[in-house]
Amino acid sequence: MLELKNISKAYPGVQALSRVSLHIQAGEIHAICGENGAGKSTLMNIIAGNIAPDEGELIWEGNPIQPASFHAAAALGIAIVYQERSLVDELSVAENIYVGKPPLTPWGLIDVKRLTQQTRLLLQGLGLDTIDPQSLVGSLSPAQKQMVEIAKALAANPRLLILDEPTSSIGEKESRVLFQMLQQLKQAGTAIIYISHRMAEIFQIADRITVLKDGVGQGTFDAAELNPARLIQLMVGRTLQETHFASYAQPDVYLQIHQLSGSGFQDISLHLHKGEIFALAGLVGAGRTELALALFGDTPIVSGTVQLNGREIRFRHPEEAIAQGIAYVPEDRKSAGVFPERSITENVQATLLSRSFWLDASASAAATHFCEKLNIKTPSIQQKAGLLSGGNQQKVVLAKWLATQPGLLIIDEPTHGVDVGAKAEIYQILKDLTQQGLSILLISSELPEVLLLADRIGVLRQGRLVKILDKSEASESLILSLASGTYAPKSDYND
Amino acid sequence: MTKQKPNLNHLLQDRVLSLSLTIALLAVVLALVYPQQFATWDNFSQVMLNLSIDTIVAVGMMVLMIGGMFDLSVGSVVAFSGGMAGYLMYYHQVPVPLAIAIGMGGAILIGLTNGWLITRIGINPMIQTLAMMGIVRGFALMLSGAGLQNFPWEFIVVGQSKLLGLQMPVWYMLFIVVGMSFLVQRTTFFRRYYFIGGNERAARLSGIQVERMKIWAFVISAFLAGIAGILLSSRLGAALSTSGRGLELRVITAVILGGASLSGGQGKIMGAFLGALFMAIINNALIIARVSGYWQEVILGVILVLAVAIDQLLLRRVHRK
Repeated sequence: MLELKNISKAYPGVQALSRVSLHIQAGEIHAICGENGAGKSTLMNIIAGNIAPDEGELIWEGNPIQPASFHAAAALGIAIVYQERSLVDELSVAENIYVGKPPLTPWGLIDVKRLTQQTRLLLQGLGLDTIDPQSLVGSLSPAQKQMVEIAKALAANPRLLILDEPTSSIGEKESRVLFQMLQQLKQAGTAIIYISHRMAEIFQIADRITVLKDGVGQGTFDAAELNPARLIQLMVGRTLQETHFASYAQPDVYLQIHQLSGSGFQDISLHLHKGEIFALAGLVGAGRTELALALFGDTPIVSGTVQLNGREIRFRHPEEAIAQGIAYVPEDRKSAGVFPERSITENVQATLLSRSFWLDASASAAATHFCEKLNIKTPSIQQKAGLLSGGNQQKVVLAKWLATQPGLLIIDEPTHGVDVGAKAEIYQILKDLTQQGLSILLISSELPEVLLLADRIGVLRQGRLVKILDKSEASESLILSLASGTYAPKSDYND
Repeated sequence: MTKQKPNLNHLLQDRVLSLSLTIALLAVVLALVYPQQFATWDNFSQVMLNLSIDTIVAVGMMVLMIGGMFDLSVGSVVAFSGGMAGYLMYYHQVPVPLAIAIGMGGAILIGLTNGWLITRIGINPMIQTLAMMGIVRGFALMLSGAGLQNFPWEFIVVGQSKLLGLQMPVWYMLFIVVGMSFLVQRTTFFRRYYFIGGNERAARLSGIQVERMKIWAFVISAFLAGIAGILLSSRLGAALSTSGRGLELRVITAVILGGASLSGGQGKIMGAFLGALFMAIINNALIIARVSGYWQEVILGVILVLAVAIDQLLLRRVHRK
């Protein structure tokens, strides 16, 4: 039905896809597996016409196509359900579902009666009899919204349906209905591309599985050929990193968190030694960033205690956290880390502003110092940060924080969108910092990175700390199964 | 590390520089074409006097726009502070310094209200300051009615005396421009607005108290508008409820001509002055050339669009590289 030949796509600093080929048949459920950043989302966006590939061709039923636009892809019968929502909270369920082409009266106006009827029928098919087509989407639960999202895709009677992590926010019951629905669609000849991190689901419904790793196709397999262990190995499958870092953890505890709860995480207890790197692993949405933001004073802590260097602390604003020696390198560098229109010096200055009334030369001295120390490649420290490469921008954000001389560095996805060379440099920098006594709380979805850097690893799932692993006992497959919930020792089985 | 060579691109991107050159060029041309009318001391001091009120308000607007905000109520505040002081002096014989202080206090209160409602309650700045524009204009009407006159000598002298051949409002304006320019360049307090306007989320995560700073910006802007209002009614010797009508848009125009951007993070205080100066010279030239007043608005509108269009084209060129 759909064939992809040698699709490549590069972003500045990253080769997102390189010569990926894929063959989708009518009436099959085809799972795409890979780690975060393996290129799954990019590939799906190419099929759905949101992104144009740099190279390669798409062949739809024997004819080469260039679905450069979403509408062109939709006209062919391709529908996609995104991981992020595409619903408008202020409109009703029915209006959202038929946003593209609502049924019309002979006068060309929206036929509200038929709109409601069609929606009700569609929702019944999905076992959603409880949702009123007229209710506003904003009033629904996250799980219901996800199902409406799927209904919206189905309303167009697609011939190829793409589902990106459809079960990440819905419960057991909805999942079962969804799978039944997918089986029916499959019988009717619809092709389905299914992306999920949950191994159990994939083996439950997929006919064939294609594995991506670092933007390269690892082959397509019949689901019967594989088992979870083998699949994880294919997804992870790199040779072990050559470099090994020593641990610089000291015996004294620097940060102690006790039964901490807040928005997005519950009942988390852990401690961090001086000079230690503690990694928080888990799937997207497991509550890692939420925990970091609460520690940093950006969001409120609901209950529990935090001790820094033996003293109990609680921050109402990041300013207070910074004054106590905490630094936070955010996940999204563009929207929360860097000031693209300001120079490198000024970026470094941002965290030092509250230290003096008059602007002084300390920032420019610090900028010069860190440009050298972190090997930031730039013609001048007066260069606008936005003009640097991703890796160098990340180093500027790091410099901004190191200038505050923190005792605890929280670093969220430090190597997102950073090229391989700069990655290795950032790893070395982080390790050097711990040698000087800095404690690091590392949040990363890249498991090799976690295993390489961390002294201990806490795995989060659905806002709870599932397990703390020592470096010696951790492996990628163990972390992945803990994070996705397929590994369930009796003691903390809670599903 | 090498220093980048200045070239035409840099020149065009530094608005203070390019606008200074444009103004100089314009002045030279006008002096050659209208030596009798334009290039005289009287005309110069008149142009400076006319732009002084606008510039004082524009300085506050520039601070706001660097931080990614703007304030539509400043024109009404100009009428309000003058009206308040005038009302107290005229009807209640309040001593001049106290009347001025109360007028300024009222202006500060308006700025505080704007800032508080926008940051703590989350009202959109456009809506909040638009509403405040109407509310404050209403109060100004109540205070000064059809206009108040016959103010004490001590009040008149504030805006009508001269120093070194220039009217006092010009000196106040120069003092505010130079002083604020220095503060914005050199103090960490004002530098924060560049970070807030450049990336608000990153500013908060860098430990900047974004909400508090925003409230301050509205207070500073209203404070400067208050000063402008007192100066205006002192200069005119009258408090008029129509003072400052349309001022907010004129001032925003000047500030954008001076290098500010609606999305924030850009601009210098000197740019606010140059933008207002540029507009004043154009106005002056059109009056000397006896062009109908209707055309002035058209021409200023065209210039504003041109300035922003040039900016966008330059931006695209930088990005393509």
